Parts: sequence; structure tokens; C-alpha cells
Amino acid sequence: MPILAGQIAFYYLAAASVASAILAVTRRNPVHSMLWVLALFLHVAGIFLLVGAEFLAAVQVIVYAGAILVFYVFFLMLLDLPSEEVGPPFGAHWPLCAAAGVGFAALAWYARAPGLLPSPQQVAEGGPSRGNLSTIGTALFTQFALPFEIASLILLAAIVGAVVVGKKKTES
Amino acid sequence: MVPVGACLALSAVLFGIGLIGFLGRRNIILMLVSIEIMLNAVNVSLAAFSQNLQDSRGQVVALFVIAVAAAEAAVGLGLVLALSRNRPGVSVEELTQLKW
Repeated sequence: MPILAGQIAFYYLAAASVASAILAVTRRNPVHSMLWVLALFLHVAGIFLLVGAEFLAAVQVIVYAGAILVFYVFFLMLLDLPSEEVGPPFGAHWPLCAAAGVGFAALAWYARAPGLLPSPQQVAEGGPSRGNLSTIGTALFTQFALPFEIASLILLAAIVGAVVVGKKKTES
Repeated sequence: MVPVGACLALSAVLFGIGLIGFLGRRNIILMLVSIEIMLNAVNVSLAAFSQNLQDSRGQVVALFVIAVAAAEAAVGLGLVLALSRNRPGVSVEELTQLKW
């Protein structure tokens, strides 16, 4: 019963991601938060595998869990936050924030009405089915060539901006 | 075959959790991490749409989202570094001035 196994795997991954997201947001120690975010990213990569996005799962593990999160942990180590342990993790306005978050989640939950989604039969195109990576690569370099170049420009601007913002101030 | 509605529900819940973290946390680094949680939630729904419509373009857009998340992390953490050089601590409640 591979369908049932897929369902069980999905519900496990969903429950684990929600649990690790809640723990990541509520832990007082920032390093613990980072580790829960790592658990969240790995479970979301599993969900990507289940919905047939293998390349996205690999990118999620390599770029998100491997690069971006390590970057955050480096900064956490670099900054040395002694005062973080004493104060409450949330500001005084946290009930308002919780209401906003729960309200938005409820709205998005309500908005996923079945009538809004086109059924797969309507949009399925003919043509030979290829591997996931080949399809994405073709789309990336033909239909999405301009956004691809713009993404490289954004990354370049981010590198230059991070260097400019982060360098020591020189007296002029 | 995972139902698309379940993926969208998961995405909504994750986004809500990230929103709570972004609005409520006092630590500025954890606010940035909450943004990453929200972007990840959006990627989940993009991948679910991509599977539902049998169209790989959703996954391409998710790749762009990941690229923008990397850029945002670099610039945001650079700003935090510049901020912490001027004053200790990264609590947003103490940042009440534009310049000091």
C-alpha cells in the first residue's frame, strides 16, 4: 500500500514540522531555536520529496539547512548574547502577535477552498514526462531566463551590500 | 499522492507560526529566522501547487524564493552586525533611535 505509506509519511512530516516550528519560535536559547529550525528544514525537505519535488528537496537541504542556517549560527556565535537568557523571549505585546498569527493562519486555512484550485485534469499537458531536474533546468534557462539573471543580480547586490554594511567605519 | 489541501493547511500553519515569531520575538536574529520559516511555508505551498497542476514552474519559483531568502539573510545579518558594533545586545525593544 504505497499510497497509505505516503499519507502516513506526510502526516508525520507535517506534525513534526509544525512541532519544530513552534519550538523554534518559543525557545529562549537562540541556539536551541536554530537546532529546531534545522529539524523543521529537514522535515520540509521530506515533504518536498513526497510531493515530487526532488530537486527542491536537495536544494532545501544544501542551501537552507547547509548554508543559510550555518550562516545564522555563525552570527549567533559571533555576537555573544549574554542578556538573552534573562529576559522573556517575547515582547510585552505578544498576545497581539499571537492573535495576528493565528488569525492569518485561520484565514489561509479557510481560503484553500477546493473550488479555487483548477483540477489536475484541466491543466495536464501532453508530452513525454522527464526527470524532475531536467524539467526544472529547461524551464529555468528558457522561460525563466530573465528572472534567473535578475536572481543573480539580487545575490550580487546582497553580497556587495553585506560587505558595505558590515565593514568597519573609517574616519573621513 | 499527497492531497494539495493538506499541504496548503500545513503551509498556512507554518506561516502563522513564523508570523508570530517575527512579530513577537525580542531577539532580532530570531526575527530573521522567523522570516525564513515563513518563506519555507510559502515554498511548501508552491511545491504542492506544482504537483497538483503537474507543472514544474511552481518549483522554479520556489528556487527563486530560496535565492531571495539567501540574499535577505546576508543583508539582514550584515545589518545586525553593524548594529551590534554600535551597541551590545540584539533586542529590538532597545532600538528606538534612528541614529546614535
